[in-house]
Amino acid sequence: MLKHPMLKYINEEGPSGKRFPHLLCPGCGAGQVLNYTLHAVDDLINQTGAKKEAFVFISGVGCSSRLTSHYLNFDSAWTLHGRALPIATGVLLANPELKIIVFTGDGDAAAIGGNHFIHAFRRNINVTVICVNNGLYGMTGGQVAPTTPPFTSTPTTPYGNIEDAFDLCKLAEVAGASYISRWTTAHPIQTTKAIKKGITNKGASFIEILSQCPVHEHQTPVEMTKALKEITVSIKKSMDSNKIPVGELHFAPRPTWTERYESVIEKANEMIS
Amino acid sequence: MIEIVINPNYCKGCSICIEFCPKKVLRPSNNINAKGYALPEVVDLDTCTQCKLCEIVCPDLAIAVTPKEKRGGRNARK
Amino acid sequence: MVETALKEKKCRGEFIKPGRHYLEGSEACVEGALLAGMKVYAGYPITPASEIMEHASRRLPQVGGRFIQMEDEISAVCALIGASWAGAKAMTATSSPGFSLMQEAISFSIMTETPLVIVDVQRPGPGQGYITTSQEDVMQARYGHHGEGPIIALAPSSVQDMFELTIEAFNLSEKWRTPVLIMADETVAHMREQLIVPELDTIEILGRRKPQDLNISPEAYLPYGHDIVPPMANFGEGYNINHVSLAHHADGSVGNYSLEVHRENIERLHQKIEGNVNEIARVESQFLDDCDHVLICYGSVARTGLEAVREVREVHGIKIGFIRLVTLWPFPEEKLRNLISMVKTIFVPEMNLGMIKHPITGALRDKCDQVIPMPEIGVLHHPDKLVNQILEVTTC
Repeated sequence: MLKHPMLKYINEEGPSGKRFPHLLCPGCGAGQVLNYTLHAVDDLINQTGAKKEAFVFISGVGCSSRLTSHYLNFDSAWTLHGRALPIATGVLLANPELKIIVFTGDGDAAAIGGNHFIHAFRRNINVTVICVNNGLYGMTGGQVAPTTPPFTSTPTTPYGNIEDAFDLCKLAEVAGASYISRWTTAHPIQTTKAIKKGITNKGASFIEILSQCPVHEHQTPVEMTKALKEITVSIKKSMDSNKIPVGELHFAPRPTWTERYESVIEKANEMIS
Repeated sequence: MIEIVINPNYCKGCSICIEFCPKKVLRPSNNINAKGYALPEVVDLDTCTQCKLCEIVCPDLAIAVTPKEKRGGRNARK
Repeated sequence: MVETALKEKKCRGEFIKPGRHYLEGSEACVEGALLAGMKVYAGYPITPASEIMEHASRRLPQVGGRFIQMEDEISAVCALIGASWAGAKAMTATSSPGFSLMQEAISFSIMTETPLVIVDVQRPGPGQGYITTSQEDVMQARYGHHGEGPIIALAPSSVQDMFELTIEAFNLSEKWRTPVLIMADETVAHMREQLIVPELDTIEILGRRKPQDLNISPEAYLPYGHDIVPPMANFGEGYNINHVSLAHHADGSVGNYSLEVHRENIERLHQKIEGNVNEIARVESQFLDDCDHVLICYGSVARTGLEAVREVREVHGIKIGFIRLVTLWPFPEEKLRNLISMVKTIFVPEMNLGMIKHPITGALRDKCDQVIPMPEIGVLHHPDKLVNQILEVTTC
């Protein structure tokens, strides 16, 4: 049977039974992000000679973090809520040559993981952070998140959300990420390109992907896909302030943490004859 | 010979592939899989341009389209 | 890998030389870690553990390692986890409040069977408590992380111990694929005394067993299988290892959940350490022949404990034996029972209100008339105080 080309990166079955399909809901944006990421990695392996063994996928906890589950045929780790970035930092201290892709969600990255979010970007560690932003906590039932728009009703804001939402890309920029892009799951080609550029960028790349959660938003995947297109505008085309800008928002490469640590090694050894 | 194959074990009937197809090759069907999801079906195979947009947007890697052949008869994707 | 810098001869630092040295416990700990092969240290400042981190920041880049000060204790231990997965031996040091912050990550390390070393330079609590010495975290060491899952915890009593037990901690963590705790205290971290470093080639250094060592191919590899201590592939070696902390099958899968698989997972983790307690745990003893009483202690308290025991024996003629727990967890119940026949009193001095006295009582209650805890808060027991308490009980 003709198979989806990215299944070559999936362990569909293992000694303990079937591993695929994943358990994400029908039409889940995180599932699409997995697809875009595998396409990006596949392109890099085929076109630039990147080694498959060098890729490491690390996730936190949440729906988007289920993407590193046991079906992914790469080195991977499904870690602690909010802590994928410090774990990635440690991996790089031991082996700076590994290409780390972090799958995270808006809650995982910006609530419990907020402190690590800003420091990983401040340090410009060489990591590609793919943030599936659905504006809520999907896995646990749709509760309010730091990215939920004001007035939204959720299981923990039954009378409406009284808080404002983070602009994650602005947060990442102020913190020091060297490559920042925002797209949506409704922009497959652009998202895949952005992920490729993020991986290629030496330094901290932040790719925010606005994503549908059909179950908790009580809409169909198709309705939400259309809505994601409607509420966003490419920054290349317009600066319509009523819409969310998507595109490459920031690109200012600078040395990574491990590159700068080389100067520490030099100084530490200068005084030893 | 172009094939569009929908994997009944993986498809969850979300219809995103139907929405994205620029040539409207796909439509919902009454074909329900073992998990109760309604799979898409091909309307007219000849209108498919093998753009593979349906493949790239599928959240479950459940649809596959024969790759375009390069000039000289080799597949576009290795 | 990190070896690149060394190969390029950028790193000219050396390990501590064999012979006699005079240094602080904190420094001895780091020098032991470097000899054991530590290549990554990630830390966060906290009194009274910061000296360990500062020393690591100076020494690691000299011997081909990397040091980072993280943004909090949680990220510090998380960085160790990542470094270990990429093949590096990694350590951090903290004190009691930071130790509390690390518990989730410790629980995660136990479930993912990640080798790493954490030094807890204990200080009194609860809360900020104070910045002096304590042994108030010894129960937290075993039970502070949520869920089941055993751990190994060592208790250094001297600068020599800070050196030797750190090497032992790394060896244990690599051999048993587990986090290992060094339950130091402010006394032993800040004391300065003699350290004797043996010839370096006499020091045993262990590394984790890898699937390559057992000729297991990537296709046949089970990340949590093959043995009670699963061989561990590192990132970047093509083994497609998936680290996961949900209850899992031997192949790392979390699907097809069943109670049997869940129990098997937890049972194996438990047996891996607790089932091997007699190989893992160490106990030292003196004066046990024919003793009527025994004093059992650990950490810095062993210094004044031994002095008190000697005085009680030599000056007052009371036959009291001495046992030092080098390993707190897994608790060496069988070893203790084999050391003691019947005694009248078991004395347990601790720098807390009585913690290790509980498993001691559980293990030895039928071998004695009474267990007498000797609590002290915020300061090391003075030997006179111990002597007087022992005499009060034994001569009435």
